[in-house]
Amino acid sequence: MAPIIQTINLTKKFGDFVAVDHLNLSIEEGEIFGLLGPNGAGKTTTLMMITTVIKPTEGTAIVGGHDVRSEPDKARNLIGIAFQEPKLLWVDKVIDVLNWHAKICGLSKSERKVRVKWALEEIDLWDARNKTIHSLSGGMRKRVEVAKLLIQRPKIAIIDEPTAQIDVVGKHRIWNMIRALRDEGSTIILATNELNEADVLSDRIAIMHRGKLLVCDTPKNLKDSIPGGDIVEVKLEKELPEKTLRAVKELDEVVNLVKVKPNHIRFHLNRSETVTPKIMEIFWRNNAPVLSIRISEPSLDDVFLHYTGLTIEEAERLTPRAKKP
Amino acid sequence: MKKVLLVVERDVKRFLRYRFLLIMRALWFIVQIALFGLIASRMVVIENYFQYYAAGVSIIILYSTAMFVSYDIYEEAEHGVIDYLLSLPLSRRELVLGRSIASGIRSFMYVGPLMAIVLFLIGVTNPLNLAIALFSLFIFSFGVSGFAITLAVAIKSEDRFDILMGVLDALIVRISTTLYPRTFIQQANTFYGLISNFNPLTFAADLFRWGAGIEKYLTFSNPLIPIMAIIIFSSFFALIGIVVYEKRLEGGGWQ
Repeated sequence: MAPIIQTINLTKKFGDFVAVDHLNLSIEEGEIFGLLGPNGAGKTTTLMMITTVIKPTEGTAIVGGHDVRSEPDKARNLIGIAFQEPKLLWVDKVIDVLNWHAKICGLSKSERKVRVKWALEEIDLWDARNKTIHSLSGGMRKRVEVAKLLIQRPKIAIIDEPTAQIDVVGKHRIWNMIRALRDEGSTIILATNELNEADVLSDRIAIMHRGKLLVCDTPKNLKDSIPGGDIVEVKLEKELPEKTLRAVKELDEVVNLVKVKPNHIRFHLNRSETVTPKIMEIFWRNNAPVLSIRISEPSLDDVFLHYTGLTIEEAERLTPRAKKP
Repeated sequence: MKKVLLVVERDVKRFLRYRFLLIMRALWFIVQIALFGLIASRMVVIENYFQYYAAGVSIIILYSTAMFVSYDIYEEAEHGVIDYLLSLPLSRRELVLGRSIASGIRSFMYVGPLMAIVLFLIGVTNPLNLAIALFSLFIFSFGVSGFAITLAVAIKSEDRFDILMGVLDALIVRISTTLYPRTFIQQANTFYGLISNFNPLTFAADLFRWGAGIEKYLTFSNPLIPIMAIIIFSSFFALIGIVVYEKRLEGGGWQ
């Protein structure tokens, strides 16, 4: 099946600054696709080109079979976006913003009434529906932005930093809404610099840095791609004999092991879930009783570090900026 | 067409929220007529200058209200709403057409009562002429809106636009027959006189005076000339507006 979105050498330059550099992505229908990277990585610019808000300097994107350069209107008909910064006029009332959005997205009067009410209740703004945008907090405005998508239910829903400025409870609520949107048939593109958010929600993640795609895969495969990324710490009743250690070292998935103490070993492994039982079996056969095991997987921050040599915070600090939208 | 109407609905509703601005502009208009017009008409040799002036000021306020759409665009750019509008499932053509029509309607809605006052003061003689003139003025305000949108989108800087408008307003209004008949412009400078012949404000002012029965100082004896000129002006800027929106307008880059 053809991907619902494909970017082909998608590039955007602002003067001499290359915001997005020959990006090639393929997004499948029905998935939650995470676009992860520090601020300034080119995520928002990519989304702006996919939604036809800005034009590519080079390359293109095919959205639902429509080229954003030659058929922008058809591409736009498939897309809905919740922007990173809420795009709302302060004099407008919440209910008016959502009603007009529903109308322009082609909802009938009866549908509109039901969906606007439902969305306002979902985002906990029903009581504030007659307030002007000006009187809402940053988090509330962000929720209005997300509500537009809930009302529209587009074939492709693009969400840029959905939980920025939102508290923990609100965060989980929005995550559930994103999942619900996907369950109703939308393909979701989620741009975020929150590693946990990308990890929890995304089926696949593309990591961007300085306008370029570094890597794209499932969160699990990305973590597994770090050699020895899984760490298993084992405490034993007594010191482990050299013979047992050698047997463990011979396993393909064991990248390294460190003797923290005579009876405390730290293993750096690939695919800990498959190799840990094998290690345990070796210990059991060699009569080395285990007191405790602690397994820790690499985080997406480790993945980013592995591919860039920088933590996401360092990358954010060192990323050059240009005059851009 | 449905989406064009939705854009119209949005922009018209929005305009009505700017109560303070609307009241102030109406006050400006009243002051111009009741003070400046009344006093100036006593020093000017033109017969019935008060009527002439009142009709001209109506056109100036129609023009400036139609230009107001450009400030809407800058406000939307400031809040990022342009990006939102550009991401919606509607074509750039529908968007710019809706905005131009809305701007024409709201200028007319706003200036309509003020014009009614002026017409009452003048005393209308031919209702049919007046209806034709008013319809042409609606087309005129639609064209001015297209012009404003084109400029705003092309310049993308509110500061520069403000400065440019200061100069343009001075030029467009002063080298037109809104405030004085063409004979005087011609006498001052033949080049000014020539330019005033092609000024859309001259066409609009001429039509309004023709419709209101103030026919003594008309620039064009045949009203078809200003009607056709206004239609050409409006079509041109509606078209240019669409082209600029489609080719030039992108999210971001606004100052």
